[in-house]
Amino acid sequence: QIRLGVGSTSAATIDYANPRKYKIGGITVSGAKFLDPSTLISLTGLRIGDEIDVPGDAISRAIQKLWDQGILGGVDVRATKIEGDNIFLDFFLTERPRLSRFDFSGASKSQAEDLQKSISLNKGRVVTDALLNSTRTTVQKFFQDKGYLNAQVVIRQTPDSVIANSVALEIKVDKGEKVRIGELDIERINAATGESRKEGFGGFISGIWSDSDEVFSETQLKRKLKKTKEKKFYKVFTGAKFNKTEYEADKKLLLDFYNSEGFRDAAIISDSIYKISDDRIGIKIVVDEGRRYYYRNISWSGNYLYDDAMLARVLGLNKGDVYNREELDKRLNYNPNGNDITSLYMDDGYLFFQIEPVEVAVEGDSIDIEMRLSEGSQATINSISVTGNTKTSDHVILRELRTLPGQNFSRSALIRSQRELSNLGYFDPEKIGMEPVPNPENGTVDIRYTVEERPNDQITLSGGWGGGLGAVGTVGLVLNNFSLRKATDWKQWRPVPSGDGQRLALNIQANGKRYQSYSLSFTEPWLGGRRPNSLTVSLSKSIQRYNQQDEFSQVQEAFIDISGASVNLGRRLRWPDDYFTLSNSISYFRYNMSNGSTIFRGYAEADQITDANNISFITSFARSSIDNPTYTRSGSSIGLNVTFTPPYSLFKGSVNNFQWIEFHKWMFDASWFHSLSGDGKLVLNTRAHFGFIGTYGSKGVIGPFERFKLGGSGLGGGSFIVATDYIGLRGYEDESITPNAAGGIAFNKYVAELRYPVSLNPAATVFVLGFAEAGNNFGTYREYDPFKLYRSVGVGARVFMAAFGLLGFDYGWGLDTVPGRPGANGGQFHFIIGQQIR
Amino acid sequence: CGQYNKILKSDDVDKKYAAALSYYEKEEYEKAGALLEDLMPLLKGRSEYEKANFLYAYTKYHQGLYLESSFHFISFTQTFPRSQYAEEAAFMNARSLTNESPSVNLDQQSTVQAMAALQEFMRRYPQSKYMPDANKIYDELSRKIEIKAFESARQYYKLTNYDPQYYKAAVVSLENFRKNYPSSVYNEEAAYLRIDAQYNYAKESIESKQRDRYAEVITMYQTFVDAYPQSKFLRNAENLYDASRQALEKLSKTPAAAPAAATATK
Repeated sequence: QIRLGVGSTSAATIDYANPRKYKIGGITVSGAKFLDPSTLISLTGLRIGDEIDVPGDAISRAIQKLWDQGILGGVDVRATKIEGDNIFLDFFLTERPRLSRFDFSGASKSQAEDLQKSISLNKGRVVTDALLNSTRTTVQKFFQDKGYLNAQVVIRQTPDSVIANSVALEIKVDKGEKVRIGELDIERINAATGESRKEGFGGFISGIWSDSDEVFSETQLKRKLKKTKEKKFYKVFTGAKFNKTEYEADKKLLLDFYNSEGFRDAAIISDSIYKISDDRIGIKIVVDEGRRYYYRNISWSGNYLYDDAMLARVLGLNKGDVYNREELDKRLNYNPNGNDITSLYMDDGYLFFQIEPVEVAVEGDSIDIEMRLSEGSQATINSISVTGNTKTSDHVILRELRTLPGQNFSRSALIRSQRELSNLGYFDPEKIGMEPVPNPENGTVDIRYTVEERPNDQITLSGGWGGGLGAVGTVGLVLNNFSLRKATDWKQWRPVPSGDGQRLALNIQANGKRYQSYSLSFTEPWLGGRRPNSLTVSLSKSIQRYNQQDEFSQVQEAFIDISGASVNLGRRLRWPDDYFTLSNSISYFRYNMSNGSTIFRGYAEADQITDANNISFITSFARSSIDNPTYTRSGSSIGLNVTFTPPYSLFKGSVNNFQWIEFHKWMFDASWFHSLSGDGKLVLNTRAHFGFIGTYGSKGVIGPFERFKLGGSGLGGGSFIVATDYIGLRGYEDESITPNAAGGIAFNKYVAELRYPVSLNPAATVFVLGFAEAGNNFGTYREYDPFKLYRSVGVGARVFMAAFGLLGFDYGWGLDTVPGRPGANGGQFHFIIGQQIR
Repeated sequence: CGQYNKILKSDDVDKKYAAALSYYEKEEYEKAGALLEDLMPLLKGRSEYEKANFLYAYTKYHQGLYLESSFHFISFTQTFPRSQYAEEAAFMNARSLTNESPSVNLDQQSTVQAMAALQEFMRRYPQSKYMPDANKIYDELSRKIEIKAFESARQYYKLTNYDPQYYKAAVVSLENFRKNYPSSVYNEEAAYLRIDAQYNYAKESIESKQRDRYAEVITMYQTFVDAYPQSKFLRNAENLYDASRQALEKLSKTPAAAPAAATATK
């Protein structure tokens, strides 16, 4: 179709063997009815007077350019005449009709909408065969993926009379019956039988000796096909759809399973899909299992730095273990939950380290392996670069990285850097990239980090009903990556100045006159920019008013007004290890109140308090090694938090306990995370929490402030009072486990929680959980017993959205009755807002 | 506004195009852009197609959508390489990318792209009337990259107070800066900071390594004096030099250092 017109009627002859230079004498366009010739000529990139080779590149480029426009059905170039050095070109074009509209028939409305997104039919585009074909394939595949394996698609073209040279398309779909998998059959030949099991080692498989000869039952194998399932009447939730790509992936999973159990010769010899009826197909897979293999001798060569015994210890595989290539690779190259051979070298700068396991002998069911090592030389880090930070300043990132120029390359430092970046919360943890670029000529390595910013400012704007207060409105703003420095420059307000890693939190909660609360806090994590010493300044004020009828039906008015300020200095420690932090703060709170016993019900002494001062020092010593704050998979966090006031009573004799509040309070929290599944998704979180309040003197009285209230979601739902510590215990009513009205002075709580993520998308991380927990709260130390507990079990779900923080609900079942409070246990719904420590 | 919606819905290509041009003249770029976007597939193959494409890119530019305008200016130069607007489009592509270039402490991908676009422009249109502008923008951008590199190197120097591990990091990164930007105005400060970091690195080192590391301070200082005899950092650098010399003197007297030195000379 595309040719230089040799066969045309003109006498021009072109010698294809010898390209010649010609000057373009003229360009014409023919065949075009609707297109403008001069534009088409300009599109070719050729101009009259240009010197071109014939035959040559210039003409094919011109054809390509016209073709790229996608509006032509054919381009034919001819030399109409040749006069000496001048050549006259004619472009003969075949135009194609354009698409004016398209409709679906045979598909539902919502399917048609989904289809429109996936097919690339744009109105006004030129209709080509390729376009029709790809549309047909896409539509067909769309229905096949939904289980309509016999879907037929026909596209009909009809000329559109409204617009010249255009067609309308009708995409006719005949879905046919939805096809499900009626039977799934896995047949085994050369099946490993009982005899082939090795007594002594490795013979005990899957925990159970079965009487049959098979090593694996068919059910066990079918379970390995994750997405390909049989339809059975009792399998209500099994779709049993057939999807080709998923089926292929499942076959691989089946073989992976065999390989991981030592059957390294296992192969799928044949598999067939056959029709049972119009809506049922059957699948038959034939597997040749082969025999099971075991390790015999493992030897090492090429190791100069570490001896065989050391390497064998790190590898941790013994003679007689079942041969498992996947596990072997993990222990050689990268083991997320422990040591591996490669990290032994890579953490010490041996970036060019390589290891190759070679099977030197296979005898019967035993395999000898020789590990061939190439240690290479140590590489030092030369330069560090960061890209992708469109919001966060370089220095905020650089100061978190543990890979420093001049140091030996270390893989664990690289992984630690990733953890630190992820913990900042500014970047998508799943997309933090680290690429070591080695320069073998000078033994150095450059490290390129790539990050992707994600929004992490949180705005709360909510209205709620509760707290015995009626309607409560909340306006909250948390800016986690704020920049005070840029706040003076209006250009940097997009929409807020950000990028310096500072945190600004502002919260206002109010319900008219009865309850108002304001708080503001600012944190600079690296004070002065030279050391990781953090400074936090916070201010708060809250007012609460109560109206309560006393026993004579007189309205008692009570209020409590608290204003406070605190300054906190924190720093990272390098001892005992560098996951520790220590922070000290001093805070001052002033309480103004009247009719205190109305507020702290049952605490008659509170009536005497009119103004109280609380000066306290808080020291917290904590260690956190969690890998990711939104969905934690590994690591732990442990913290001890001690609050104490000056011991006024010791040096002033008997003072008013309430004018100058005195107490000391100890809080201990520990939380561990372990991944239980191979992919690290199923996570077990175990926690323990303790809290105690005491006085200095033996006769000291513990005031009503800062006491513990246990039960429910831990948000202080029922009748929220400031200066009280609310601790959740799911499966029980809010604050139901509180020994006296003012609150307990000692509590403990233990939690075990299993979590599984539904979505790890950074915009909305969703996970479900099941929990068992137990706790108690005591009014005096005499009663204190860490094993006397209220227990509960339940399930729940959490959603973490960047803009709103953590939200969730739990349904808990309290197992123990609370004395004097029937109905406080049993089934309870809890709504969770925000990340809770306890 | 009603008038605009009517035109937007109309099927009359010529009327729509005329309206787009008049909105463009009136600097109502959003409206002009929307109309042109609608028109583009319909104008394909017509004489107005070229200008419509060019103006469409400009509407994006005027709306501050520089990434989009860059994309459309580039595709214009590729589709119409012989157009009378091609030169302007090539320059406007670079300009769009320049406007996307963020402040120095952020990722400079756009800056690098803008510089590449400018180089390409200068290579292709060396006689362009935009040449002085292009040169000026190029200098600004390359200076930005230079400042970023210097700030990053200096960041390691800043952190030395926190952790002595950073001394070596500072020496290496400041040296990298000198190698990568040999003609930078910041080289003088970088050279001085490097001497300071190296001196402290030597001071914090174990005794067996101190000798070599102090000697390195001396070499660094000598190069510094040769390069910047009038430097405002000279006085401080000289102090570091003196301190290193004294330390070396002391080291040579202690017997522990002697065998190490002996093996070194072998």
